[in-house]
Amino acid sequence: MGIWQQAILSGLSLGSFYTLLGLGFSLIFGVTRAFNLAHGDFILLAGYLAFALWHFWHLPFSWILILCMVSLPVAMLALRELLHRLPEPFELNSLVVTFGLAIVLQNLFLGLFSADYRLLLLPTTVVLDLPACSLMMTANQAMLLLGSLAATAAVYLFLYRTFAGKALRATIQNREGAALAGIRVDQMQLLAFGLGGVLIGLAGPLMAVNMYLHPAGGLEPTLIAIILTIAAGVGRTGSLLWVGWLLGAAESLTALAVGSSWRELVSALVLLLILVGRPQAGAKHDIAS
Amino acid sequence: MEPDTVRKVFSWLAALLLIVGPLLFPEAEVYLLVFGLACFYAALAMAWNILALSGLLSLGHGAFFGLGAYAAVLLQQKLLMPVYPAVVAGGMVGALYGLLWGLVFKKLRGAYFALATLASLEIPRVIVDNWESLTSGSMGIVGIGRLPALDLGILTLPVGAGLRSQYYFLFGWMAFVTVLHRQALRSRWGWALRAIRENEVAAEVLGVNIYGCRLAALGLSAFLTGVCGGLYAHLMGLIEPAMVFSLQLAAFPLILSFFGGRFAVFGPLIGALLLYPLDQLVLQPLLPQGHAAVYGLVIILTIFFFPQGLATWFRPQSKTS
Amino acid sequence: MHPLRELIIRIFPTYKREGAGLAHGRRFFSLPSAFFSVPLFLALILVCVWTGLAFAAGEAIRLGEVNPLTGNLALHGLEIHQGIEAAVAEANAQGGIGGRPLVLLSRDDQSRPDVALNQTQDLLYREKVVGLLGGYVDSLVGPISSLAARQQTPYVAAASLQQSLTAQKNPFFFRVSSMAGIVQPLSRFLSDVVKPQTVAILYTATPGSTEFAASVRDLLIQQGIRVLVFEKFRPGTPDFSMLLLKVREAKAEVLISGGFFPDNLLLVRQLREQQVPLQAFVAPWGVAYEKFLRELRQNSEGLLGMCAWNPGITYPGTEAASEAFVQAFQARYGHLPNSTTMHGYAAAKAMLAAISAVVEQGQPLSGPAIAQELRRIDLLLPMGRLRFSEYGDPLEYQQVIVQIQNGVLQVVYPPEQATGRLIYPLPHSGQE
Repeated sequence: MGIWQQAILSGLSLGSFYTLLGLGFSLIFGVTRAFNLAHGDFILLAGYLAFALWHFWHLPFSWILILCMVSLPVAMLALRELLHRLPEPFELNSLVVTFGLAIVLQNLFLGLFSADYRLLLLPTTVVLDLPACSLMMTANQAMLLLGSLAATAAVYLFLYRTFAGKALRATIQNREGAALAGIRVDQMQLLAFGLGGVLIGLAGPLMAVNMYLHPAGGLEPTLIAIILTIAAGVGRTGSLLWVGWLLGAAESLTALAVGSSWRELVSALVLLLILVGRPQAGAKHDIAS
Repeated sequence: MEPDTVRKVFSWLAALLLIVGPLLFPEAEVYLLVFGLACFYAALAMAWNILALSGLLSLGHGAFFGLGAYAAVLLQQKLLMPVYPAVVAGGMVGALYGLLWGLVFKKLRGAYFALATLASLEIPRVIVDNWESLTSGSMGIVGIGRLPALDLGILTLPVGAGLRSQYYFLFGWMAFVTVLHRQALRSRWGWALRAIRENEVAAEVLGVNIYGCRLAALGLSAFLTGVCGGLYAHLMGLIEPAMVFSLQLAAFPLILSFFGGRFAVFGPLIGALLLYPLDQLVLQPLLPQGHAAVYGLVIILTIFFFPQGLATWFRPQSKTS
Repeated sequence: MHPLRELIIRIFPTYKREGAGLAHGRRFFSLPSAFFSVPLFLALILVCVWTGLAFAAGEAIRLGEVNPLTGNLALHGLEIHQGIEAAVAEANAQGGIGGRPLVLLSRDDQSRPDVALNQTQDLLYREKVVGLLGGYVDSLVGPISSLAARQQTPYVAAASLQQSLTAQKNPFFFRVSSMAGIVQPLSRFLSDVVKPQTVAILYTATPGSTEFAASVRDLLIQQGIRVLVFEKFRPGTPDFSMLLLKVREAKAEVLISGGFFPDNLLLVRQLREQQVPLQAFVAPWGVAYEKFLRELRQNSEGLLGMCAWNPGITYPGTEAASEAFVQAFQARYGHLPNSTTMHGYAAAKAMLAAISAVVEQGQPLSGPAIAQELRRIDLLLPMGRLRFSEYGDPLEYQQVIVQIQNGVLQVVYPPEQATGRLIYPLPHSGQE
């Protein structure tokens, strides 16, 4: 039975990574309805920043994380300034403009970092090793699991326990209503982009540690973020983690039981079940009409 | 002259240039290929937009495209069907899958629908990729012949013989899809689609058959995309699962439609005929390594100047058009 | 007017959606001159047409190259591009061919087949190139080769493997690599030297990798080696934990990976992290590269890869030519060439040799004449002897097996080219 537990453990760790990729997107999309197709490229930006700090200045990883989480909000606020000037219809135009932006960023990475694949290597250790039931967990998996759990918990606490968070939630649920209640929607947008930037700044270095960086590699994280955000339901940070875990576990179990060439099929079916089975999957959060 | 007349004259001149132009440049085979493919993408973009006009943005049109391509090729190879009937049958297979979407995703709207289509793109891809005895799996199918002569009764068009006839064939295909696209905007059915898009409840009160109208748009859109897939297999000469079941095949029409203007009859067409040749004929030769960045900038700037797409320039500025 | 339309206009007087954007209707730009931009677009295209045509005439010999310079395959596309560029620069430094300089026109196919077609067409018709080079994977090489045949222009592909492409008997298609040159040395190495009881094969869902995996599996089974795991994954898979768990559970001695560069990076990283007990790890693509060593550092120790050439690993008798190439290349680009670069270089060398043969005979530079000469060439290049079969397959293409030992690539098979001894089983770094 050991290998099944191992599959679930790996799946949870992978799912946590997915959640982390989706968190920032979900917040920004919830507050501003900006469909940011360059999300993954901003994660790559954070990843490349982390790589540069590690490769050229040999900073310890904890410093790198902090520096990325501080500097990415700046980039995201710049993005907000760009999107702020978009003419109507806003949601669809944000989709097309960020698509163009993703292409520009990709080529920027290609120019700055060449087409090479980059890895950020940390000393590898195994934190949990139970050979009896063939259960093991590497330091990276543990970091992903804990990192995204901590990030989700922090976002959750912020949204439900602080005044600013409640205002943010109100804005996600009903922008006009929130504005009528005296919430400064503009400031909430700044807050969402800033917070999203912090989360992207966390996701980027973790991606560099767990996968690899490549100029064209922004598409996958963007897709994962979109999938999780929509499947969880817009602005529902708690469900994001559940959906992430469900997908991660489904993928791992399929790869083990049937074969990894079928894993996309199973995750597609799981997604469809979530979407079709959801009772209120109606028109509330239309991004397009 | 009235601005409207200028626009009309300009549109007709552009159309004339596209039809007669190739006859004036005996050497310019490049333009025949590039503009032929631009026509192909214009048809694909309009096929996509027919569904989008009903208010549903799809990210999974690659599924119809891939099913159309594989069905067309396999029907020829396994059942020895002639090329054009097989391509049409490929479109039917795409349409069947589209109708299945209609049944299963009946209640989904907006982003939820888009995500569901994205997920249902993976299903046929994985099956084709793994069903090696039928589809030869990840190896793809190579050595697909060019399009044969098309016998229309009164005249025979030697489609695959040269690039010129291929261009006119693709131009004709685009014109055909444009007529359908126009119907989806201007006919009674088109107005019903618009009503559904703007306000479903109000449309239902008016007696519009919401489900039926949407299903028709979905089926037509899927069929046309499937036919495009079958044609693509013959244009490229080979297909692979990752190549035809691709997110790109919904993303590209989306960008072209928005760029050109998705509520205008010629919007997606203008997007395709400008953006694609611009990239292929101007940016690529001038900047082999930096063209993509310029392409991205062009898209960003266009949205700032023409938030409703380039085609808004071609029609009167009033909102009721 | 339809009554329905009238009603709808009554009910929906405003076409605009209710404001949902960030800034309600605030426009950044307003531009009446947008009126002119569309005809400007078309005019721009036309101008480029004519300037292109005007440039096309001239004394220089024009060669075209289509490679993935952006997108997923950009890494290897750029390597091939530099190899071709180096060969052309070398020929120009020697005074060109018959006193005529060479011009190389590079195009990007963005890793997409339709773009490859357009750019090839542009090179053939507008730029009037006499020969085509480059191309990284079969789905991009295939469309280029059929277009080359239509225009009767020879095409020497730098990296193409699928057997069905040369089975089409296209007289204008040539390639410097072949599947047999990878599969045969690998399976001989496994059955003669390593002699494992069991292997696991992981490969990607691409034509080249699938064909490779199936051929290797069949050859190994013939030798009585059991293939315990045979699985395919999507290129760019983010997590290999489950595949590695299967390999671990099956207790396979040797893991053969048909993945490409990034897949192998991730696979090896996770293999090391999870300390999968393997006797050997072999991958034909991606491992035998300086960049692979550089990124993985000590994690790459003991891995087995394959290459046709590398600085210091060259075909017997070509040491001087190889060294000269490395020197010139490093002076030009500031980094070392690798096996993929050499494929580009070899393809260009073949094309240049055929062109000079045609020029020497005093014939005009026509496609059929160059293709005829390509079938006759017999070159000794750092990558090995290069001769083509009637339908363009390289007859002598053989890769060697290398092992990463103390951060250096050492040839361990075949014995006549070996520079080091095989370390077997795989040392496990980070454990002791």
